[in-house]
Amino acid sequence: MNEPRGLSRIELLQGTLDLIILQTLRWGPRHGYGIAQMIRASSADVLRVDTGSLYPALHRLERQGWIAAEWGTSENKQRVRVYTLTAKGRKQLERERSQWEQLSRAIGAILAPSPEVES
Amino acid sequence: MSERDKEIQEEIAAHLELSIADKMARGASRDDAERAARAEFGNVTHVAEVTREAQRGSGLWLERLAQDLRYGWRALRRTPAFTAVAVATLALAIGANSAVFTVVNGVLLTPLPFRDAGRLYAASYLPTDLPFELPPGLDDRLYLEYRGHVSRFEQVAGYQRQALTLSGAGDATRLAGARASANFFEVLGVQPALGRAFTPQEDQAGNDQVVILSDRLWRTRFNGDRGVLGTTITLDGILRTVVGVMPPGFTFPAASEAWTPLALRLDAGNSFIFPVVGRLRANVTPDQAKSELEAIARAMPQDPRASGFHPTASIIPLKDTLTTHVRTSLLVLAGAVAFVLLIACANVANLLLIRAATRRHEMAVRVALGASRGRIARQLLTESVLIALIGGALGMLVAFVGVRGLLAMAPAGRIPRIDEVHMNGWVLLFTLAVSVITGILFGVVPAKSGAGRQPQEALGQGTRLVGGPHHRLRSVFVTGEIALALILLTGAGLMIKSFLLMRSLDTGYDASRVITMAVDLPPIAYPDAARLQAFHTALLERLARIPGAGRVGAVSYRPMGDMGIMGDFWVEGATPLPHGFSVDKPTVSPGYFAALGIRMVAGRDFTTADRAGSPGVVVVSETVARRLWPNESAVGKRISMVEPPGPNDWLTVIGVVNDVVQDAGLTRHSTIYLPYLQTTSPFFINHMTFVVRPATGAGNVAPAIRASLREVDPAVPAQALQTMDQSMMDTIAEPVFQMRLLATFAFLALLLAAIGTYGVLAYDVTERTREIGLRMALGATPGNVLGMVLRRTAALALLGAALGVAGSLTLTSVLTKSLFEVKPTDPVTLVAVTIVLMLAALLAGYLPAQRAAGVRALTTLLLHE
Repeated sequence: MNEPRGLSRIELLQGTLDLIILQTLRWGPRHGYGIAQMIRASSADVLRVDTGSLYPALHRLERQGWIAAEWGTSENKQRVRVYTLTAKGRKQLERERSQWEQLSRAIGAILAPSPEVES
Repeated sequence: MSERDKEIQEEIAAHLELSIADKMARGASRDDAERAARAEFGNVTHVAEVTREAQRGSGLWLERLAQDLRYGWRALRRTPAFTAVAVATLALAIGANSAVFTVVNGVLLTPLPFRDAGRLYAASYLPTDLPFELPPGLDDRLYLEYRGHVSRFEQVAGYQRQALTLSGAGDATRLAGARASANFFEVLGVQPALGRAFTPQEDQAGNDQVVILSDRLWRTRFNGDRGVLGTTITLDGILRTVVGVMPPGFTFPAASEAWTPLALRLDAGNSFIFPVVGRLRANVTPDQAKSELEAIARAMPQDPRASGFHPTASIIPLKDTLTTHVRTSLLVLAGAVAFVLLIACANVANLLLIRAATRRHEMAVRVALGASRGRIARQLLTESVLIALIGGALGMLVAFVGVRGLLAMAPAGRIPRIDEVHMNGWVLLFTLAVSVITGILFGVVPAKSGAGRQPQEALGQGTRLVGGPHHRLRSVFVTGEIALALILLTGAGLMIKSFLLMRSLDTGYDASRVITMAVDLPPIAYPDAARLQAFHTALLERLARIPGAGRVGAVSYRPMGDMGIMGDFWVEGATPLPHGFSVDKPTVSPGYFAALGIRMVAGRDFTTADRAGSPGVVVVSETVARRLWPNESAVGKRISMVEPPGPNDWLTVIGVVNDVVQDAGLTRHSTIYLPYLQTTSPFFINHMTFVVRPATGAGNVAPAIRASLREVDPAVPAQALQTMDQSMMDTIAEPVFQMRLLATFAFLALLLAAIGTYGVLAYDVTERTREIGLRMALGATPGNVLGMVLRRTAALALLGAALGVAGSLTLTSVLTKSLFEVKPTDPVTLVAVTIVLMLAALLAGYLPAQRAAGVRALTTLLLHE
């Protein structure tokens, strides 16, 4: 029941989820269920996005103007809310991507076995 | 449901439909697919809610606040007893603070009702090393010089309070008024509502028979008739033409009803000191104005008679000159009432801690359900601020009643600017601010400790917790409030002791049943001593004829009046006066000593034979006799009031009487009494107080006294027709007012501290029921248990009292000026209030102690197993 102190976990998750959503929408407009399926598929089933995080994130990104939403119709005639990446969102994606790459390179470097120790 | 909520619902429904369709496409039945989709999706309501929150973004905190408030309100309604006690405590304490603030705001803080009042300053150049205090002012010559040369002020105006007798229109009455220079109204930035201000020509002696009326006087005496302009009214027997009426509310200085020109008339032998107000030029500091005043004053030719005096220049905000004497007492009251609020805070904080203990489960469940600590703490704090705000709202009602009570209790005419005391927006703002701060103050500790619990700990422990972590905190609060209550009690105790000493003071006269009446005889109708004496003789004769009048007499300045004449004198044989020895010099009639019960120690009283033409005589008081003629009889010795004495200026001492207390200083004065029939200067007898001691069993003689005056001269109004006791009470009205308020606040503090002590001990006993039952099962007697609880009470109270005594010793010195013959560190008072406080605390502890002693061993054990 104990939460770890501080907000780091939530912040990280949120930021990462944003990045993932923006990245997913780069391939074209999608509805919420589609985004969830796509994330799941493209992470080889490792990442399952909780709907309780996905929908708030979508609506927040929409409020921030990074994605736009409109009502459309799905392949099986279901009325759905479709999200599109905006120009602003595209720039944000690039920014977050490069930050993410920097971060993962840095973490990678830390975690990579050091040659001196190995030898 | 809003449009946005519907959209979210629809979006979620679509999600589920798509998910179901997917699963059915992979071969699942409709039912299985639906079930799986729902399971995968999770809690629909929750998702809708968090999505909605994300959508709102920054509006969220408001939403949360509203939610916290709703939740807090529900929580408060669930515990009505707690809420009622907390709200009532706070309403009283916040209300008392708002009431005192209302007075402080009106008297000390509100700017004077003049244009740009912050630039109005009083200029003063007077000695500050005299044995008595002079109100700020300039002497007439310096004023004229200063007025002509000042550059730091736009201009300066002189004024002087005066009392005037208005006769003609209706009954003759005394009015408060002022003499004012022609530019007085312009300096203050207030113009007459009707007519005009004085012209510089009218500000010249001999050309000054004009008057400006206050709005109130104009409405009450002249029916608000505009035709009054240009007509004449009689003031002090002088006909004056009404040239203006001031706007409503303008009564400066001090409740003035009429203004006449200052019209200075310089006197070669005397100088005349009066207040001077100026409007500082823009961008000039008071310090610069002060240097200028100093320079102008130093350049004046020095009066050789004033060589012993060391005047200093000062430039004082005009507002401060009105309120100096009440400033300290008002601030003391504000401090006292703030203490009451702190005590109330401690009480409510303790109540919250106790309630938090009973809500442990609720909080633990909320934490377990995922509420963060911050959220819970904020929730609890919102609750306490809500309590404080409700308390503050009711406090406004308390303040409304309180302000009326304060104004009713305030000594008439002693508190300046009392007309400006109103509950206004500032009071509302103050109350709001105090409520919020109070709510945070008493809420923060319970909120932090309430939210800081580990849920499994709290959930697991159930009700078996003994003592608990709040135990110590509660004791700290109780100790603190006992300490604060003791400080207030000490303050009140000192004031009460001082009051008792004043009341039991041997004044040197017997005031019981004595009635006095003062008159001022205008110089127009009574230009010389002979006519004044004739008036006095006639009135004394009429008073003596009143049935039941007993003894009658007259004195120029009675004890416990607001005026007196003091000075020095010369003793035959070139005996020098003891250094700094000065005496009161009242003029009296034969029979005055007997009427006021002043004892003849030696010699005889004046008689009607001691009149103009007969040898000059005086009666001296004991101290005069003892200081001047220590080893001989004073009777027969000669003194003079004139320097150098001519052969006819010697006055023979014919009698010695005891010293009397003359004024608010409440010390016995040395006095030389002069017979009114031998006085040659009108100045000494144009103000006279007649003294009547009714015979035993006589009814109310006041109407007959008034009637006698009307028979002698209907144009002379009766002033201060009242008993000597009343005069004494008027004299000490300010300390009495302060004492009553301090006593009220101290009582409130004591009550709150007792309630707080009771609450904590009662809760202790409840919490320890099991332990007590165990002790009893093991052989403790009810007496042991009673003693145990009382010992804990005494320990808390003693610690609080010790802190309180320490606090008192450092704080009560603020009362020094209000105390009479009592030191602020008076040990008797400290011991007495400590005893009172201990008794109150033990009484508060006795009820729970008795309940503890009544605990039955078996029941408690059974109850908890």
